[in-house]
Amino acid sequence: MTTPDNHELIDRLASEYVLGTLRGLARRRFERWRANTPHVDQRCRFWEERLMHLAKDLEPVQPPAHIWPAIQRRLHLATRQSALRRMRPFALAASILLALGVAALFYWRSLPANHATAAATIAAKSGEHLWELQVFGQADRLVARAAKLTARPAGSDYELWALPKGAAPVSLGVLPAAGASSRALSLRQKQALALSSQVAVSIEPLGGSPTGQPTGAVIYIAQLRAPS
Amino acid sequence: MNPPQSPTELDAQLERLLERCAAADTQALQRLYALVSPMLFACVTRILRRRALAEEALQDVFISIWQQAAQFTTARGRPMAWMMSIARYRAIDLLRRERIAPMLAAPPDEYRALDAESDSQDSSTPWLSSADSMQRCLGLLSDRQARCLELAYIDGNSHEDIARLIGSPLGTVKSWIRRGLRSLRQCLES
Repeated sequence: MTTPDNHELIDRLASEYVLGTLRGLARRRFERWRANTPHVDQRCRFWEERLMHLAKDLEPVQPPAHIWPAIQRRLHLATRQSALRRMRPFALAASILLALGVAALFYWRSLPANHATAAATIAAKSGEHLWELQVFGQADRLVARAAKLTARPAGSDYELWALPKGAAPVSLGVLPAAGASSRALSLRQKQALALSSQVAVSIEPLGGSPTGQPTGAVIYIAQLRAPS
Repeated sequence: MNPPQSPTELDAQLERLLERCAAADTQALQRLYALVSPMLFACVTRILRRRALAEEALQDVFISIWQQAAQFTTARGRPMAWMMSIARYRAIDLLRRERIAPMLAAPPDEYRALDAESDSQDSSTPWLSSADSMQRCLGLLSDRQARCLELAYIDGNSHEDIARLIGSPLGTVKSWIRRGLRSLRQCLES
């Protein structure tokens, strides 16, 4: 329980922590307290949003060009194409088999043990199935499988949207042009799905809409249904 | 595509990019980097004052953002405040590790040159609304209180550093900062 005195102390420490004047062991101790105490975390966030205004006159500085590639390397995000080209054919084949095996193992182990809780089929006007969607658990994970190789307009992606009743669409990510994708859903995505009876697909710039809302044509709408 | 102009629109865009990062969308991280790295780099540069360290910090910050994106929700506050906090706390940790001597404001010349070449926004802080009550509350602080808070927040100075920099007793500096923070809280909650 938080007493008024305690509240005063938490607020003072939170403000000095965010300001940066809480240093040394006191700072380390406070970080641990914050990590384990929602009320302390809440006060820190209060001050983080308010004290940010002290930086109003800070001029942005463009980082040197080599920083982004360095981040990609550290996160192993850089394209593997160049590395693959350097590999000998036998090593390449062996590596692909190994990678497929490991990926399949992780993929199947990552799927929730429980069954799908919702599903949808996105189909063309001709009735041809384009994508099969399955939602697992309490909307914890969305698996999208391309039913066929879907040609994309140049420089575009197909993006999936939840259509919550009475609210703006919420992106569920870019759909795969081939094969399957499996992704964990954020709290906002789960909430949107829970309020949706339909999903939609729009054409967006590569990587998805930059605005958070559909910017291109909505080309497909599908009903969410109980899994068969 | 033009960046959104209002703080609300920018917040929505940043939230959306963080969601996509949480879903392991690497293009979202690249877009996020393009949008916010100049501000985060300015933050760590002012605190660390050494080029190599600031670059190391910026890399660490984006790796943290990528790894922790799933933990960010709108309930955690505004996305820019979340990311700036990651940046500032990382810089403060490095400051402690490197035991860097304090210095009165002003980025090194090499960064001023970079800054001049930058084609970034007209407004340096488009995520801050001038109508926010915090701007009014900051205006109520005394000059000394405001200066001490800026020297701590923007330049990463400790109480001792600030006392040395402005030539005032340590106890006085602590008092100005404590009273400044208390005034802000009272103003914000009034």
